[in-house]
Amino acid sequence: MSTQYSILFKQEHAHDDAIWTTAWGKSEADGSETIVTGSLDDMVKVWKWSDEKLELLWTLEGHQLGVVSVDISHNGAIAASSSLDAHIRLWDLESGKQIKSMDAGPVDAWTVAFSPDSKYIATGSHLGKVNTFGVESGKKEFSLDTRGKFILSIAYSPDGKYLASGAIDGIINIFDIATGKLLHTLEGHAMPIRSLTFSPDSQLLVTASDDGYIKIYDVQHANLAGTLSGHGSWVLNVAFSPDNTHFVSSSSDKSVKVWDASSRACINTFFDHQDQVWSVKYNSTGSKIISAGDDRAIHIYDCPM
Amino acid sequence: MASFGWKRKAGEKVSKSAVQQFEAEEERTKSTEGGGDGGGGGEGVDWLHAVKRRRQVLLEDCAAKSGRLKDEGALLAEQGRHWEAIKKWDEAIHLTPDNPLLYEMKSQVLTILHEVFPAVKAAEMAVKFRPLWWEGWQTLGRAQLNLGEVDLAVRSFQVAIHLRPSERVLWQEDLEWAWRLQKQQVATKEKTRQEEETKEQILHAPELEQDYDFESDEVLAACVAVAERQTHYEELKKTTVVMDTEGNLKTVVSGEGGSEEAATPSQEQFIKARGL
Repeated sequence: MSTQYSILFKQEHAHDDAIWTTAWGKSEADGSETIVTGSLDDMVKVWKWSDEKLELLWTLEGHQLGVVSVDISHNGAIAASSSLDAHIRLWDLESGKQIKSMDAGPVDAWTVAFSPDSKYIATGSHLGKVNTFGVESGKKEFSLDTRGKFILSIAYSPDGKYLASGAIDGIINIFDIATGKLLHTLEGHAMPIRSLTFSPDSQLLVTASDDGYIKIYDVQHANLAGTLSGHGSWVLNVAFSPDNTHFVSSSSDKSVKVWDASSRACINTFFDHQDQVWSVKYNSTGSKIISAGDDRAIHIYDCPM
Repeated sequence: MASFGWKRKAGEKVSKSAVQQFEAEEERTKSTEGGGDGGGGGEGVDWLHAVKRRRQVLLEDCAAKSGRLKDEGALLAEQGRHWEAIKKWDEAIHLTPDNPLLYEMKSQVLTILHEVFPAVKAAEMAVKFRPLWWEGWQTLGRAQLNLGEVDLAVRSFQVAIHLRPSERVLWQEDLEWAWRLQKQQVATKEKTRQEEETKEQILHAPELEQDYDFESDEVLAACVAVAERQTHYEELKKTTVVMDTEGNLKTVVSGEGGSEEAATPSQEQFIKARGL
């Protein structure tokens, strides 16, 4: 257990081109920690995190264009990836084999997110629809309509009640999953929302935008609880810590910032990347942070617990 | 007392406009000195800060002038006076070397003029100075496509889409077209590779490397294998990779009755081989 924030590990040249997305999962079966990365080089790579270092398990070939988003199911067995080739693919993390390939239709696969029960994958579309695919069926099961613009980001609340989407015009929509009803439409930012995340207790929603700001919303009342500035350029990704008190953001200003959710202050800034940082995530306990970006490097940081 | 000033040096070699500008400036300095400075007189002039101020004014001038040249260039480009537009923008780039807009516009016009390589160079500068600007990447991709660098173009268009996925033109025109060309290029390369390989095997047939008992069937089998490979090679030679309207790749026989023609000469080869 460390007492301060520090960089723990760097994997230089993890891909042949910019890394656009990462996910950190934990296997329910054996407790091993798995990291999945997706890149502009069309590849999805699966890494094992053990003994404080990364080990490449699989290089998953299949996507024909850059990989925009990856996610790992909550039991740690399956990874989903979406690409500019308009396909969503499901991969078995144990064997490194492709399970399914789903044609989402052109421009209809951006961010992918597993539902809390991992039975569904949600993705946004250019017409403002949130499409939900069945993991078993491999087919589109239902869709929620925001009647808005291109949906860049999607997040399920951990309690399974809500689904939030962020659009390219800065509008945030919150759905009730059980009824499929649109609960709130928030005019959060004036610019694209590239990432949003719920707190582990599903009370707060944090959004990141090209306007350089991070906003915190109270989910139940749809109130703006705070606006945070600090990044010098687009905020590209946000992720909440499992400890429910911190979250992390990454930006095209090449930095990664850790924030305290209650005081709304930036408590640490990592300036270790050479280029835009597209993705940042916590591990399952909140003791580590992973970041990756245009410099093709994966960084792992230590967090005080 | 003889007065000493720049005026005296202003002979033939100094341009008239520079002289006029200097004279006007001198007038202005004189008038401010005379008006504002009562007590200190000539000694009260703060030369150190005056120099600094001059530099600041100069910087502002550069930006303003560059902006004017940029607009002039744009107007010329719209009228189809492309080279003149580029000249204006080059001047503007000289004044403000880090303005991505200038490079991007220049790249577009260079593309129109079929100056493919300079167009790529200019667009590369644009994305270097503003990497989050999707239009810059689009222009770079288009320039690269014109240069025949299909792989690089596909990459640039993907970066542009990743920055601005709602831009339909990027998906439907730029990326789709470049990606299709890329697939075609891959298929053509693969075919060329196959052709080369088959040719190589005809010249150095593995069947001919071992010694045969001439009476045995092995000789016949080897000859048949060699002949078959030759037919295969000729088939490959006769076909080309084409793309239909939906973007599906097909390998078709080019020329009429190609395969029948191919059959005849290979028959001869077969007989020759048997004559060994």
